[in-house]
Amino acid sequence: MDVKTVRDVAKFAHLALTDEEAERYCKDLGDILSYFELLNEAPGCDERGVNPILVQDITREDEPKVEYDADELLKDMDTYDRYVRGPRLS
Amino acid sequence: MKIGLECHVQLPTKSKMFCSCPTADCEFPNTYVCPTCLGMPGSRPVLNRQVMVYGIMIAKMLNCEINDTTWFARKTYFYPDMSKSVQITQYDNPIGERGVYYLDGKKPIRITRIHIEEDPGSTKRTADLTSLVDYNRSGIPLAEIVTEPDIATPAEARQFLTQMIGDIRHLLNIPDNLEWEVKCDCNISVGTERVEIKNVSGLKNAERALHSEMVRQIAMIKAKKKIVRETRRYDPDRDVTISMRVKEFEDQYGYIDEPDLGVYHIKELADSIKISESPQNMILRITSQYKLDPKMAKQLVNTSVDLASLFEDVAKEFGTPNAIKWVGGPISANWKAMDERGVTDTSKLKDLIRDFSDGKITDTQCTIEIKSYMTGQDAAAAQEDSAGLETLINGFLDENPKIVTDYQKNDKAANQVIGYVMRQTGGKYSSAEVVETAKKLIEARF
Amino acid sequence: MSMDSVIKDLKAINAKYQMFHAMSDDTAPGDAKFLFSAKDNLTSKDMETCAGSRILEGYHPIFDATCISKLREAGGKLVGKTNMDEFGFGTFSTNSGFEIPRNPYDLNRACGGSSGGSACAASVIEDHMSLGVSTGGSICCPASFCGVYGIAPTYGRVSRFGLIDYGNSLDKIGVLSQKATDLKKYMEIIAGKDERDPTSMVQPDFKTDYRKMKSVAIPKEGIEGLSKEVESVFKDAVEQLKSMGIDVDYVDMPSLKYAMPAYYILATSEASTNLARYVGMRYGHQEGDHSLKFDDYFTEVRSKYFGDEAKRRILLGTYARMAGFGGRHYAKAREVRQVVINDYKRVLETHDAVLAPTMPFTAPRFDDISKMSALESYKADYLTVPANIAGTPHLSVPCGYDSNGMPVGMQFVADHWNEDVLFSIAEDWEKQFDLKRPEVSL
Repeated sequence: MDVKTVRDVAKFAHLALTDEEAERYCKDLGDILSYFELLNEAPGCDERGVNPILVQDITREDEPKVEYDADELLKDMDTYDRYVRGPRLS
Repeated sequence: MKIGLECHVQLPTKSKMFCSCPTADCEFPNTYVCPTCLGMPGSRPVLNRQVMVYGIMIAKMLNCEINDTTWFARKTYFYPDMSKSVQITQYDNPIGERGVYYLDGKKPIRITRIHIEEDPGSTKRTADLTSLVDYNRSGIPLAEIVTEPDIATPAEARQFLTQMIGDIRHLLNIPDNLEWEVKCDCNISVGTERVEIKNVSGLKNAERALHSEMVRQIAMIKAKKKIVRETRRYDPDRDVTISMRVKEFEDQYGYIDEPDLGVYHIKELADSIKISESPQNMILRITSQYKLDPKMAKQLVNTSVDLASLFEDVAKEFGTPNAIKWVGGPISANWKAMDERGVTDTSKLKDLIRDFSDGKITDTQCTIEIKSYMTGQDAAAAQEDSAGLETLINGFLDENPKIVTDYQKNDKAANQVIGYVMRQTGGKYSSAEVVETAKKLIEARF
Repeated sequence: MSMDSVIKDLKAINAKYQMFHAMSDDTAPGDAKFLFSAKDNLTSKDMETCAGSRILEGYHPIFDATCISKLREAGGKLVGKTNMDEFGFGTFSTNSGFEIPRNPYDLNRACGGSSGGSACAASVIEDHMSLGVSTGGSICCPASFCGVYGIAPTYGRVSRFGLIDYGNSLDKIGVLSQKATDLKKYMEIIAGKDERDPTSMVQPDFKTDYRKMKSVAIPKEGIEGLSKEVESVFKDAVEQLKSMGIDVDYVDMPSLKYAMPAYYILATSEASTNLARYVGMRYGHQEGDHSLKFDDYFTEVRSKYFGDEAKRRILLGTYARMAGFGGRHYAKAREVRQVVINDYKRVLETHDAVLAPTMPFTAPRFDDISKMSALESYKADYLTVPANIAGTPHLSVPCGYDSNGMPVGMQFVADHWNEDVLFSIAEDWEKQFDLKRPEVSL
């Protein structure tokens, strides 16, 4: 693990790191990732389920419902004219 | 030149993909929303079964191999319209893969995959350049269809989209009068580098975008400049593709499987779903089955699948020649008029054909009765009209016999007759009827 | 003690032990049948819910978590939301964005984590049950450090609707209490299918009738690396179990050592996607400068309000999902989960439970924790992680005290859906265990 990679990853994750943080996380991640190499010697398995117990075929019917009051949902949001305010797009 | 497409269409469900919010259009922003489609902490997705059904139907129509087990994935990217910065989509094991669609029934366009996913919300810019976000669309179900780069030209791309989207509309029972938006990412390489034009709305723009990009690439190659592999966007007002901000590195979507939904075993469901024959497939089938002129087959099906089905009924009961003569003739000519009047009972038409077939009525009488039933016009008046039209056309042909000989080489010669009649009579006769009668009278003169 | 007097003392108790972040304004018990608290990553309509993170300050959910609404319907009064490691990231609740709960047996020591506040509340407050959430051991670890009973049921037994996610294939909601009988009593209320959480819809019937535990298996991997005191207390507890007529076998479970790296890859991968939604819009802090471009706006809010451990896990999880690295380890981690499940099932075919101490040491001092590296704190969970990655139900019971009077816990792990045998051993154990309550003075 090197500092440049940490900064690239931070950029994807939308985190700004100070130089001190970048160095520190670089070391932490390096140690942790080395430890993860232990997995290389672990036995494999044909199955790799999405959940530890089999969750299958759960769906609901196509029936529209209005269960929540939209105004309640918007009450703590920063809105303008019922739109949610957001930052610049470009 | 190679062209590949990634098309997104909305699936016509009543509720959203992972929550029960209505999908209907809404006058006000952020009204058909709930904790799930707003991505509120603690909320959870539940799959709308109908979305899976529609996805399987499209996969079958596209002749895809349907995976026995399918599941969902998280695609992570950050944008204000993404209510949880994660789009639930499919990555591994989508619903269908390795399909094919036959353009005009002949040229195979391979379908890489088809999967289902949710739409984000929508954004608009304000005067001060900040954004306003509406999450009404957040969670609307989409199907994504990806083709291999088997398409040869921008015109062919449009043709492909017209036919495939037409078939999907029919498959999903989308009313003819409902505008149904298709968004495409268009990939084109004139030389060796592939350029992606992102988020083009509509079939016409897809062709224009591809065309303008093709022109750009050709010019670059001529000028010996290197074409950069990149993502561009299409500006329909200026008819150019524009480079999007060059990124340092590819977006890392970091796909992982979605544990909140589990897996779906869809083999049984897929086997149980019977899809109706697509219009394109019907055209191909009846052309070969009844040895029809492909133009007639196309005209029948494109006018109405019900008309084409009637053709088959008549062919079965009274033989193909009668079907061609009557259904391909006056019934087709007057179909639109009958449809507009809201008349749907076609058994009377079959009765008339039966009477003709049994010799109870003449050819001319049958034609009149058919027209009268379908247009609502009184039989006597219809007869008069019809006679008048025939007189007019015969008069014109007497004075222009060369049309008949020209017609034998190229049937476009009939257009002269049609043009004449339309000029003489204004809108009195439906163009379908004029065409049909003109051709009949010309052919009678061979 | 009456509910009235409990509620009256709560503010003072909280000032001393810091188990609650938010407390109910309504101080009258009304017609409530019992009082309870809930970990702050479970949504509550009437109280701010922050999951231990400053980025969610001001989040007032408009829906109760299913487990909370079920308890309310059964006559429960929610008195407070308990402090926790931010989003569940931690072993000592020291990564809380707010107050850090203090161990009732020694205020200079941690409660464990990440459900530290819940274990503290369960230990200190009379007649009190607290809902906790376990991802890698976050119910049993604090239960062990705070000397209470704690159960994490099978994954999928309790609806996660209303749970602010850490790891969607790992999170389980459970119960902590001084009274073993509370575990079954309250689990019966909160368990069950909920259409709003698909993963809760495949569970078999919840069997809770008494079923005596007949045999346990102790994996040798479970008794390595223990502190001398834990080792000694555990040994005595095992003798006690034998005298209760339970067969004790020693077995090999070679998969256990791979559980930890597999767990952290899966958990951080999932967590990094779950935390992507916190961008300073829609909930929590939203007051950033909108004239910034969205990438910068999001980055600013996230960097300001996420704690140190949250950032570390987001970086780890994002990296683990990236093309190149991700393909390799993420897929392998998923396979290893199944290998661990298979190992448990093999042993549990012939035994009712797998047994080991819950934690390798007793509650550490805060100043010792601050000297631990990230990797060292991760490794402290090695005894709880395997059951958690396997999704198997597990129970921690207090089984003794070290020379400082700090509680030691031991953990029983049963097969999927076999909570009944855990409720039963908890009750049998309670009958003959001399529980030493902490001294609670205000």
